Amino acid sequence: MEYNGGSVVAMIGKDCVAIASDLRLGQQSVGVAMNFEKVFPVNDKLYYGLPGLATDVYTLREQLRFRVNMYRMKEEREITPKTFTHLLSSTLYEKRFGPYFLEPVVAGLTTPTELEPKPKPFISTMDTIGCITTPKDFAVAGTAQDKLYGMAEGLWEPDLEPEDLFETISQTLLNAVDRDALSGWGAIVHVITHDKVITRQLRSRMD
Amino acid sequence: MPVEGPSIGFDFSNYARNQFLGERMNGLPRATSTGTTIVGLKFGGGDTGEEEGICLGADTRATGGPIVADKNCEKIHYLAPHMRCCGAGTAADTEFVTNLISSNLELHAYSQGRPARVVTAMTMLKQYLFRYQGQVGAYLVLGGVDSTGAHLFTIHAHGSTDKLPYVTMGSGSMAAMAVFESSFKQHMTRKDAIDLVARAIRSGIFNDLGSGSNVDVSVITKNGTEMMRNYETPNERGIKSRNYKFRRGTTAWTKESIRSLIVSEEVKMTTGAGKTQDGVLDVPVPIGKGPGGEEGMDVDA
Amino acid sequence: MAVQFDGGVVIGADTRTTTGAYIANRVTDKLTHIHDRIYCCRSGSAADTQAVADIVHQHAQVYTAIYGHAPPVATVAALFEKMCYENKDQLSAGIIVGGWDPEVGGSVYNIPLGGGIFRQPWAIGGSGSTYVYGYCDATYQEGWNEEQTLQFVKNTLALAMSRDGSSGGCIRMCVITKDKVERHFIPGNELPRFWEGKEVTGVEAVGLNAADMVIA
Repeated sequence: MEYNGGSVVAMIGKDCVAIASDLRLGQQSVGVAMNFEKVFPVNDKLYYGLPGLATDVYTLREQLRFRVNMYRMKEEREITPKTFTHLLSSTLYEKRFGPYFLEPVVAGLTTPTELEPKPKPFISTMDTIGCITTPKDFAVAGTAQDKLYGMAEGLWEPDLEPEDLFETISQTLLNAVDRDALSGWGAIVHVITHDKVITRQLRSRMD
Repeated sequence: MPVEGPSIGFDFSNYARNQFLGERMNGLPRATSTGTTIVGLKFGGGDTGEEEGICLGADTRATGGPIVADKNCEKIHYLAPHMRCCGAGTAADTEFVTNLISSNLELHAYSQGRPARVVTAMTMLKQYLFRYQGQVGAYLVLGGVDSTGAHLFTIHAHGSTDKLPYVTMGSGSMAAMAVFESSFKQHMTRKDAIDLVARAIRSGIFNDLGSGSNVDVSVITKNGTEMMRNYETPNERGIKSRNYKFRRGTTAWTKESIRSLIVSEEVKMTTGAGKTQDGVLDVPVPIGKGPGGEEGMDVDA
Repeated sequence: MAVQFDGGVVIGADTRTTTGAYIANRVTDKLTHIHDRIYCCRSGSAADTQAVADIVHQHAQVYTAIYGHAPPVATVAALFEKMCYENKDQLSAGIIVGGWDPEVGGSVYNIPLGGGIFRQPWAIGGSGSTYVYGYCDATYQEGWNEEQTLQFVKNTLALAMSRDGSSGGCIRMCVITKDKVERHFIPGNELPRFWEGKEVTGVEAVGLNAADMVIA
């Protein structure tokens, strides 16, 4: 967990979700890269972050890409955030006795269907072996987890508009990461709304 | 090992690597555990006229080390319509083991043509847990009503089971058991049973660090199962009188990319081979509801 | 423990199950049904002994289905021994099998920790047993009737429970003969008591139960 460093945070807003990560890749205390994104898209309105051991980030990302593509072909539809969370959870639990060192965070919007005409914005997080939690406010993970909890618990409020959510999640991440030696070196934020995804690289301390 | 092998069940492939990583670095990451208070008791029966049933209770805190991972998680898991199971220990294990057994119970019910009994669920759980020699860290309180009456069991991770009229488990089990030992009576009314269970859970919530937040209660009788999620909420968060909302533009950013999800299409009226030709009059065609529509197309406008 | 007498056996056990210092169950039933007239006393890991007992119980049922009659106690004991011996590295199970069959009447088999099978007129096992070997050696006599045997088992268990911290609670006993399987339950406040000093008992010198002790 502490080998490469890195943190991810996700938040719910009014008809939108945001997910953000830092950009550092380290080897213990040595910084190696400042463009290591930990948040990946699954489809238009679904993103997930994988903070943890970098080698497992790649392994699991490819594994998930394979499984989501299989799902897409078999079902002929896009995977929903909830289903994706369970897919991810089972994938992690398969390695119950030799887990991936990752604590994933999922954030996405569900496209309205006849069965679910008014879906709520969705975020979830899980531990290394796939125990799901689906908070109503925010989800945090990574080496700055404790600090992120503190920041988010104070700054988050319900029903933030996309632009306000961007400010809240950015400040939460930036300030938490500044107090974590293993996270930082730049940050990236994705705000997902029903009609667009805004991705911004933040200006941050580079020490 | 291929990415998608034909094997089922657990995959131990990272075990050796993690063991090495664990030695080289400061320990292995900790799994979410439910430092928990879970309880169950049997009520009714005897010659009280009160129908026999099981009352289960749980707190709603999940912890990861010293951090509260979830403030309102669900620890009373569904097994079958007439059976519920409270879980303590490793959160992922309680979740997956109850899901697996729930699935197997449903198949069992179909194949036998009758609802599965509580002992069946108990046996399936204990045999599964025994097979993994305590490595699957699920500590369970199983309760339910079947054709043979109301039953309550505890199941430990190593696969041992106990059948008792009132039980507690998890880190708050001592606090809860103290309440049960002083106040439990045989053949209680449904209301008294719920009250006592809630009191036992509250004792865990307030006296045990691993337990907290709310009280979940579930009552199972032969007339059905009632799940009272957040039956008591003694730890509501205070309302913030002011907020930390940031003015838009507070955060400085360097690069922006916007992916529009709206599929737009521009339609341009032309004649001929897709080109606008001079001197040719464009006659707008009024459109009704389209082909198959009730009004049809009206060409002579 | 289990003791054989003319016409049957008496088996008995305390009712305490512990996880570390916590008593997980204070009214445990360690006298486990294997077949109509065969029971076992379990000691060691609760999970292991329950699993083994469940498997042997299943074998006993299959035996009955195949041969049309109950298995002899010796057969069931051999089954236990086989499981305990072949899985000795993974199990911590000390089991005493007691029961009645038409061939030999009442019989007691001891299957200690690593396997092995020993037919004995009386057998004791579990953490508290070491405290009462002397008592059993000094007290046991052949030719007791049911009543006397029951008393002997009750006294032995009470003595073991008073000395061993991992044992305690109540006493469960079971008389198995040709005609009956009769269960006895002695609550924790009605256990036989012996010398505890007059400050505790309020009685000068004489133990409460000392006079009742079997010296037949």
